[in-house]
Amino acid sequence: MTLSKSLQDTIQKEIASLTQSVNGLVENLHRMKSPLVESHDKVPQATNQLDKISQQTEAATNRMLDVIERITQREQQIITGLQHIGEEISGQPAARKIDELCELANTNMNEAYAVMDALQFQDITAQQMDHAASLLEEIETKLKNILQTIGADEASLAGQPATAKKVRTYDPHADLFERKTEQAVIDSLFDKSKK
Amino acid sequence: MGDFKIIAVDDSPTMRRIIVNTLKRAGYDQVIEATDGKDALAKMKVDKVNFVITDWNMPEMDGMAFVTALRATDEFKSLPVLMVTTRSVKEDIVEAMKAGVNNYIVKPFTPETLKAKIDQVLAG
Repeated sequence: MTLSKSLQDTIQKEIASLTQSVNGLVENLHRMKSPLVESHDKVPQATNQLDKISQQTEAATNRMLDVIERITQREQQIITGLQHIGEEISGQPAARKIDELCELANTNMNEAYAVMDALQFQDITAQQMDHAASLLEEIETKLKNILQTIGADEASLAGQPATAKKVRTYDPHADLFERKTEQAVIDSLFDKSKK
Repeated sequence: MGDFKIIAVDDSPTMRRIIVNTLKRAGYDQVIEATDGKDALAKMKVDKVNFVITDWNMPEMDGMAFVTALRATDEFKSLPVLMVTTRSVKEDIVEAMKAGVNNYIVKPFTPETLKAKIDQVLAG
């Protein structure tokens, strides 16, 4: 079967046009490769930065806990000492002053404990950062797959050698201020289950 | 509180420290710590524990697997368990209840809530 001259011309034009399109596509992919490799290399830097924030926040929180524990121990000693003095001078005018000092020391101690309770933020923000880091690791994997698909050689991906990923355990909804279910609702769920 | 011993299971050292301090303030002097369910089970073989406070999200063995493992044994099937976690989605709470958790607190908690829940669980 021979094709007519005009049909041959049309097919040749179509092939030439397709070749041009494919060449353009390949060129675009090559142009994309460099920024994609750069982005792929930057993701682990962002992940490491998040992990560093978590570690340093935890270290700082533990230093604060050390101080709080020392403060509360000293305040307890002060309260005990004042109570002994108070017993010895019971009935004297200075005894009232001792009671006031005991009350102040108690207030200091309770406020130090309030700071300690507030430090629970560290566990919650660490989980939020683990969640963000985990999302970044997903992006990193997807970028790597795209780069391999468009033919990025191993050398251009070698900037980030495969490292063992940190095991991340987190609640994706961890939040310091917002709860999906209030404690009262939780209590009623448990109350109902007992009935 | 005599020989009454509590195990605080949480992978966060900060949280364990806060929980231990809160318990001591509430009069519970004997508290042991574990970093996850697996660590807790190992420690509970050595130390007799009267009460469990456990987180949910932990490596190796999480809180749900831990509670399920406890409830599967004759020794620990009735041991009081209080879950203290950030997880506040209702479906999670129901799942924990079904697994055998006796009560549930969402972090951050107040010392008053922790003490009240321990008392409530112990009162049955």
